[in-house]
Amino acid sequence: MKIKIDKASCVGNARCAAVSPELFPLDEDGYIAVTEIDVPPGMEALARRGARACPERIIIVVED
Amino acid sequence: MNDVSTNSPVAQRPAHVTDAVTYDFDMFGDAAYVADPHKRILDLVKNAPPIFWTPRNGGHWMLMTHSANFHASRDTEGFSSEIVPQAMIKAMMAKMPPGSPHIPQPLPITIDPPDHTAYRMPLQRAFSPKAMLGLQKSIRELAVDLIEKMKAKGGGNFVDEVAEPMPVQIFLKMFGLPLERQQEYRTLVKEHMEGNQNHDPRAIVARMLKLTSIMRETVLERKENPQDDLISMLWQSEINGKPTTLADLENYCVVLFTAGLDTVVNGISHGVLHLAKNPDLQRELRANPEKIHGASEELLRRYTFTVPLRRIAKDLNFQGVEMKTNDRVMLFLPAADLDSSEYPEAERYDLQRQNSVHIAFGVGPHRCLGSHLARLELQIVYEELLARVPEFRLDPDKPVTYHGGHVVGPDAVWLRWN
Ligand code: HEM
Ligand code: SF4
Repeated sequence: MKIKIDKASCVGNARCAAVSPELFPLDEDGYIAVTEIDVPPGMEALARRGARACPERIIIVVED
Repeated sequence: MNDVSTNSPVAQRPAHVTDAVTYDFDMFGDAAYVADPHKRILDLVKNAPPIFWTPRNGGHWMLMTHSANFHASRDTEGFSSEIVPQAMIKAMMAKMPPGSPHIPQPLPITIDPPDHTAYRMPLQRAFSPKAMLGLQKSIRELAVDLIEKMKAKGGGNFVDEVAEPMPVQIFLKMFGLPLERQQEYRTLVKEHMEGNQNHDPRAIVARMLKLTSIMRETVLERKENPQDDLISMLWQSEINGKPTTLADLENYCVVLFTAGLDTVVNGISHGVLHLAKNPDLQRELRANPEKIHGASEELLRRYTFTVPLRRIAKDLNFQGVEMKTNDRVMLFLPAADLDSSEYPEAERYDLQRQNSVHIAFGVGPHRCLGSHLARLELQIVYEELLARVPEFRLDPDKPVTYHGGHVVGPDAVWLRWN
């Protein structure tokens, strides 16, 4: 499973990181630091929850 | 039931506004709204068009659905935050005689991208989740202190005792302003909140000038003697590659004052009011304090209370509705978060909600800068209140009254226990 993030549209809600700071690393200013994440096995549910938590709806889960 | 006498006069309807999208609602004076705002919002969500134009308060659009608020907030070219265009402000400033006082502006709220980004960046790190963790301890100490003082009195008006002093003191602390002058700032906050009803631009400018004059001494002092506070940090920042000026610093003071104080006061008050009316919820949260975080989020959704303003910057057809340049638009976020197509049984306060992702802090580039701070303040107050004060309820002798406007909320919440 992969996560894709439209990083340019991130407004720094940090709601994704509130679900999982490991999966959704933020930069010093509180914006998402990555555009694509390979979800480690076992973290799929967290990844889906983190994606749903984004009020901007810019995190997309790509199922395998 | 709508007492028309409290409503503002009716404005002439522009030709592009059709009957089907006209609906009479006064967001400042509507009697049912001011009697119980969120009850009236639920009624509007059911009975008013999803996007409507109201003739009140000069005439403006109201966006009711989640979808309308979401998309309008993200379309900064169509929906401008420059209620007065920046180009016009610059031209006006250029015409003022030399030596006139700087008229502060609440930037970045009232400026569109790309300049918006330049003004917001210096603040971003200071309000990041990481920076807020460093404030957690002092917020908790402050909350405990205020709650214990109210507890010793055996009851009281929660707004005056806790909700209002709390964000003011945090503001002073973050800015590095002298706590001894707390009373002056609290008076200004009170005037600001009361001024919510009276949107005379001259009164607003007068209050801003009063604020910047109270702060000026400390602001100038920090330029020479930087300390570990927000003012010193902002002096060391750049906007569009240029070092910040006194005018920039004053703009920042004004924006954080206007955006970060009465919002928190109203947010905490809505939450505590709901808790006071729901002893079962109090019991559940006292027994399971780990649920307070989710409970605080659901309170923000159920009682979303801020109404940002936009100006249409080009003629457009928005979700089937014709809007013309310079029309004014209210992002009626309280209705967006009660949209049942997004939140089934939206009127229910529900800790188990599948979708609990609300937009109480807005959407798009202007999304609340202070949301991490606000969330911390709200959660800590609920935690400490529930841990320290026994089951509380509303004082039946002192009914709750509310104000409408851009920040909707209770004027006073009198609590009792035992
Ligand atoms: C529960 C409390 C709060 C709520 C519900 C709230 C809500 C909002 C909303 C809806 C916006 C978007 C306005 C727009 O789109 O035009 C906003 C913007 C803003 N808020 Fe908050 N706010 C709260 C607390 C705070 C605090 C504590 C601070 C700072 C100390 C703060 C600072 C700001 C700033 C600076 C902006 C403007 C951001 C920009 O234009 O880029 N807010 N807030
Ligand atoms: S929740 Fe969305 S907008 Fe917020 S930091 Fe994460 S990606 Fe960015």
